[in-house]
Amino acid sequence: MTLTPTFRQLVGACATSLLLLGPSLTAQAEVDFNREVRPLLSDRCFKCHGPDEKHREGGFRLDQKESAFGTGDSGLPLIVPGKPEESELYVRISSSDPDVKMPPPDSGKTLTPEEIQTIRQWIAEGAKWEQHWAFVTPRRPRVPHVENSAWVRNPIDAFILARLEKEGLRPSPPADRVTLIRRVSLDLTGLPPTPEEVDAFVNDPRPDAYERLVDRLLNSPHYGEHMAHYWLDAARYGDTHGLHLDNYREMWAYRDWVIQAFNQNKPYDEFTIEQLAGDLLPNPTDDQLIATGFLRCHVTTNEGGSIVEEVYVRNVVDRVVTTATVFLGMTFDCSRCHDHKYDPFTMRDFYSTFAYFNSLDGSPMDGNRKDPPPVLKVLAPDQKATIAALRQRIDQTRKDIRTLLAGIRYVEPENPRPPKLAEPVDFVWIDDALPAGARPSGPWKFVSDPVHSGKKAHTQTAQQLDQHYFTGARKPLRIAEGDTLFAYVYLDPKNPPRQIMLQFNDGSWEHRAYWGENLIPWGQDGTPSRRRLGDLPEAGRWVRLDVPAQAVGLKPGSVLNGWAFTQFGGTVYWDTAGIRSQRDQNPTYDSFAQWLRDQQAANGAGLPEALRTLVAKDPAQRSEADNRRLLEYFLEYAYSGTRKQFAELHRRIEDAEKRIAAIEAQAATTLIFRERKDPKPAYILRRGEYDQRLEQVPRAVPAVLPPLPEGVPNNRLGWAKWLVSPEHPLTARVAVNRFWQQVFGIGIVKTAEDFGSQGEPPSHPRLLDWLAVEFRESGWNVKELMRLIVTSATYRQSSVVRPELLKRDPENRLLARGPRFRLDAEVLRDQALFVSGLLYDKLGGPSVKPPQPDGLWFAVGYSGSNTVRFKKDVGPDKVYRRTVYTFIKRTAPPPQLSTFDAPSREACMVRRERTNTPLQALLLLNDPQYFEAARAFAERVIREAGPDPERRIERMFRLALGRRPDVETLRDLLDLQQDLQAAYAANPGAARSTIAVGETPPDPNIPPVELASWTLVANTVLNMDELLNKN
Amino acid sequence: MDPRQEYIQNMTRRHFFGQTSLGLGTAALASLLPDPKPAAANVTTSQTGGRPDVPHFPPRAKRAIYLFMAGAPCQMDLFDYKPLMEKMFDKDLPESVRMGQRLTTMTSGQKRFPIAPSKFKFKQYGQSGAWISELLPYHAKMVDDICIIKTLHTEAINHDPAITYICTGHQLPGRPSLGAWLSYGLGSMNHNLPTFVVMTAKWSGRKQAQALYNRLWGSGFLPSKHAGVALRSQGDPVLFLSNPPGVDRTIRRRMLDTLARINERTFAEFANPETRSRIAQYEMAFRMQASVPELTDISGESKSTLEMYGPDVYKPGTFAASCLLARRMIERDVRFVQIFHRGWDQHGNVAGDLPKQCKDVDQPCWALIQDLKQRGLLDDTLVIWGGEFGRTIYCQGKLTRNNYGRDHHPRCFTIWMAGGGIKPGIVYGETDDFSYNIVENPVHIHDQNATILHCLGIDHRRLSVKFQGLDIRLTGVEDHGPVYDILA
Repeated sequence: MTLTPTFRQLVGACATSLLLLGPSLTAQAEVDFNREVRPLLSDRCFKCHGPDEKHREGGFRLDQKESAFGTGDSGLPLIVPGKPEESELYVRISSSDPDVKMPPPDSGKTLTPEEIQTIRQWIAEGAKWEQHWAFVTPRRPRVPHVENSAWVRNPIDAFILARLEKEGLRPSPPADRVTLIRRVSLDLTGLPPTPEEVDAFVNDPRPDAYERLVDRLLNSPHYGEHMAHYWLDAARYGDTHGLHLDNYREMWAYRDWVIQAFNQNKPYDEFTIEQLAGDLLPNPTDDQLIATGFLRCHVTTNEGGSIVEEVYVRNVVDRVVTTATVFLGMTFDCSRCHDHKYDPFTMRDFYSTFAYFNSLDGSPMDGNRKDPPPVLKVLAPDQKATIAALRQRIDQTRKDIRTLLAGIRYVEPENPRPPKLAEPVDFVWIDDALPAGARPSGPWKFVSDPVHSGKKAHTQTAQQLDQHYFTGARKPLRIAEGDTLFAYVYLDPKNPPRQIMLQFNDGSWEHRAYWGENLIPWGQDGTPSRRRLGDLPEAGRWVRLDVPAQAVGLKPGSVLNGWAFTQFGGTVYWDTAGIRSQRDQNPTYDSFAQWLRDQQAANGAGLPEALRTLVAKDPAQRSEADNRRLLEYFLEYAYSGTRKQFAELHRRIEDAEKRIAAIEAQAATTLIFRERKDPKPAYILRRGEYDQRLEQVPRAVPAVLPPLPEGVPNNRLGWAKWLVSPEHPLTARVAVNRFWQQVFGIGIVKTAEDFGSQGEPPSHPRLLDWLAVEFRESGWNVKELMRLIVTSATYRQSSVVRPELLKRDPENRLLARGPRFRLDAEVLRDQALFVSGLLYDKLGGPSVKPPQPDGLWFAVGYSGSNTVRFKKDVGPDKVYRRTVYTFIKRTAPPPQLSTFDAPSREACMVRRERTNTPLQALLLLNDPQYFEAARAFAERVIREAGPDPERRIERMFRLALGRRPDVETLRDLLDLQQDLQAAYAANPGAARSTIAVGETPPDPNIPPVELASWTLVANTVLNMDELLNKN
Repeated sequence: MDPRQEYIQNMTRRHFFGQTSLGLGTAALASLLPDPKPAAANVTTSQTGGRPDVPHFPPRAKRAIYLFMAGAPCQMDLFDYKPLMEKMFDKDLPESVRMGQRLTTMTSGQKRFPIAPSKFKFKQYGQSGAWISELLPYHAKMVDDICIIKTLHTEAINHDPAITYICTGHQLPGRPSLGAWLSYGLGSMNHNLPTFVVMTAKWSGRKQAQALYNRLWGSGFLPSKHAGVALRSQGDPVLFLSNPPGVDRTIRRRMLDTLARINERTFAEFANPETRSRIAQYEMAFRMQASVPELTDISGESKSTLEMYGPDVYKPGTFAASCLLARRMIERDVRFVQIFHRGWDQHGNVAGDLPKQCKDVDQPCWALIQDLKQRGLLDDTLVIWGGEFGRTIYCQGKLTRNNYGRDHHPRCFTIWMAGGGIKPGIVYGETDDFSYNIVENPVHIHDQNATILHCLGIDHRRLSVKFQGLDIRLTGVEDHGPVYDILA
């Protein structure tokens, strides 16, 4: 049978759209193995004759040349080049006998007659075999020759045009300058151009006007914000843990790092290495540690009942699978449970890679806290400087102490007085700051009103059970006989709690006292682990709560290092907490000998660990140095002759430590990756199940890919360096494909997440390779790559769809026209805020919560979650920020994002769908923030364009689209405005309601009826298809 | 979506609107009023979207309602009657029964696993003689309408993975939900309402309830138009449905007419079919602004119907009110309705909380089935009731005769199904005397989902989508399939 072009087109229509456009539109063309045959073998045959050894039938595999050209169990030659009829493969697929036919009828897979014919032709033509293209290191291909060389601006165009010429298609004319500047501004910064920018570009006579424009955009700080949102999809960045309670997770510093990395044009190889192994670099900077957040962005849980090992395996698998998708473009997940059925990855490959990523120095459970370790404190430069100065002061004071000690000649007195016991006295442990060294549960909220002592009190408001606490205080509280712990509390009379509780940590938290109802279930009621000490104190004033240490099971000699303030519901303020001790916490001695005897009697309780050991030592065994250390401690802390001198110095250190602690307690944290000292072993897990360990496997890169480069360590750092080594066939291709996809809507490989044999082959394989090599050789220069793409003639074409292109190439894979598609969720919202003048232009910082409809979080949230109720932020610096800063609760993401196909960030996503739904229309028409943008837009043009309606509409168009309205549209909008003006004039109350929507009040200088009608005109413009698209 | 299909759809839309902008005006005018709604199920509505190869065979059900009891109901206190347990009060669960099976870490540290017999009384009802607990008196009246399956089982033992598993076929986030698969495969039967609607109902047990997640009705890697649309009892029933204050329907219509004219010009300029599609979506949005309020307005329901659902039916957001809305949606050919009722996680205080939870759902479930039956809708509407796993016969926490708690149990739990395609009046599968292990006819959650798809005319093996190199389907890669024994 010979194939006519029409027939081949039909074949294409049945398979993928790409085949329709394949190079083989003519019957004469040779069959291309990688493009036409391997996908068939992969999809229909590999399942039983592929890489998966366990499910292999017939003793042969069709993914490897040697086996495919062998005989298998049957002894018959499978493929005889040039002779289809002698090839068992062809005989079986073309048989009509159901017992012989392949694929077998019960497999659910079939080959169409045309596909069988393709395989026949391939064998007849000599059965040329190539390795799967994606596993072959790209070499820079020759730039093809084209007829219309005048059209070519850079090599991209030569590749695109060569293909178009082969297909007999012409490229489109260039887009006009107004369309072009809007397109490129949106593509590089995610924001449209201002009318002034449009004019400047349109009127720029210089030949390189466009290149200058691109330069300006690449240097805009908004470039990084825009590039980041694609990367954050891939990195699955979110602001909550994503599973079960879905509590707040603080790691916006990672998001800011990504933005900065793009803005600074960090080379992609460094970008890769820092995210995958920043912690293993020599003396990593804070930024390099923050980058490792990539490996911590996965969802986590702390669900009661979880099996830790199972969670551990899931977390590591997510890291491995995400990393493989993002950097290798491979569907590694398949080989978690069995050898990959289509690509040459084995389970051993999977778990050998797992071994690089499994040794996080922290628990797999998130503890429902915002900062499950390891984390880094994120400090602003001035905070860092303050802390450094304080540390220096501490060091200096320590030196002063050493000097002072060295100068003291101590003589044991002959008649020492007994140690001086103080009157019972309040020792305040917690006041305006936490005790030195304390590790707080999160940022404590301090307020300056009401306050009991000092300048601040700390407070908390809870829906249900909530608390703040710390552990690890460096100078612990020592409990003595008869001591009483105390704290001052102030209950908000408008919102009193139902129960309050104090908890004390002496290594365990099983010491609790409470007041009010019995709703907090910890410990056992009526025992020291949950002791009721009375009703709730009176609200609206400071009340002292006293807790006899004995009542909560704290025996004399116990040492407290932590304290928790817990409540059920309400708003509670706490201040001035500590211990009232019958004994001075530090009695004063005249005699060293007496002091030492007392310490020995008390087993050194309260002394630092090292000194306790010395005290316990047999005096005869103590060295000179030991004795000196004990004496020095005595002089510093207990000796009546010198204690005062030192106390002043100690106060200085303590003060500095407290100030450091206060800064750090308020500082944000971010999740980072830090390697355990002893790496965890990795095992092959049967069917991927956490408790089904098979053989232990060492770290190794997948066998089908190049080996680790010489001289790199066999750890994550080596793995990351391997990714960006010049021989690596995947990393550069996968990266350039995603950047291409970002601009053109579809990648050169459409399946950006899968470059394997089940993925779609590239539409322009040589272009992909050329770009990959160019990218790598440019020093992985992302801005240069973006520049190359957007300055191509291909990119600059008009996006008008010519009728023949709609038929030939509905998806625009051949790029005979410019890209046109709906803007992404983030860009849509940012554009509305920008053109209306509302956008608050500030880079970075904590995530913000612009308004969203009530109840979206509450409808799904776990009642005890700290994100169960959404509370919108207030203030333009929060509600009008770019969408990349919007808080993402992963189990209920903002509708402004999810309605427009933005992923929930629960899992890695490197390619968004692009849908068109009525829910999108409702959101763009009615969402209060979009509607407020319409009002602000109306106010803006009324202010800027004066009273003439035509000029207002013109200004609106210039701001929104850069262009002037055409005559009919101008007429339509004028009519609309007049009609609405009349309608609102008849109902001024409606006009006032219309303009009242939003976070800020309407401009009082514009009459409501007028403003309402113009708001609807702006609402119309902001919903135009032309505005919602990149054109 | 396949661009070719999209293109064909655009062509259809173009026919709908006519070839000129004049035609559009007419259509827009028509959309000022909601589409005349089908008064009964036998009114044929055209189907749009969906995959051309689906249904794979004639369906028994055209639509489905899934009553999801989130948190995992205690099967042995409701359906799975275990009389022998009475004598084993406070005795240890025999090791021969537990067989070293993994437990959640909430009870794996318990020194003992003492048996907690159900404190509730059971009786047999109907032709089928099904045993029903005193907590479900209305279920007792309808045992001959439903098929009770006592042998569901799963692998997950904690809520988040388990509920994600049963709703999306996978324990980890990222996959399309059952409803999204139905929308993708079968498409829509109603042009004015979403294809897949979700409601989250109020509950009466203890307030601390397990979370839900948008992913449970999400579209995963499928286009977001297949995601379930939440029908809310607070604020707009559908997000952003209402026009802003001061913007009435006439003003919106006037504005949309101008918008359509401008967009038609954009289409004339760029010739991109997506522009036409967008015009159509705005028109559908406008129609929804009428059809959704009409849907949620229950003032036309007869008193007898309302009384059937019980007094809660008047309180928006209750399970009863949600069931009534579900029936109204089914009447309007919404393809799939899912109601999530939370609060079934009885680790403690079964005696206090379980009766409240049952009271929330018992009568409305019965009323829904009767209501559908009376209107002739039950024949081609599938109804499913169930949670994400079961609970242990042994007690968690303090055990007394009168009160006890139960931990998670994945090895058996009870659901029921009714309506289109399902044999009524049978009890399927058997568990051991402890409601711990299955002794006969196990039904994996994938089998349950395969059964649901089957009733709707879908071969679960053939409804797959290529994603990350795999043919992903709702029912996973292992060998699972419909439970033919319960199919009518």
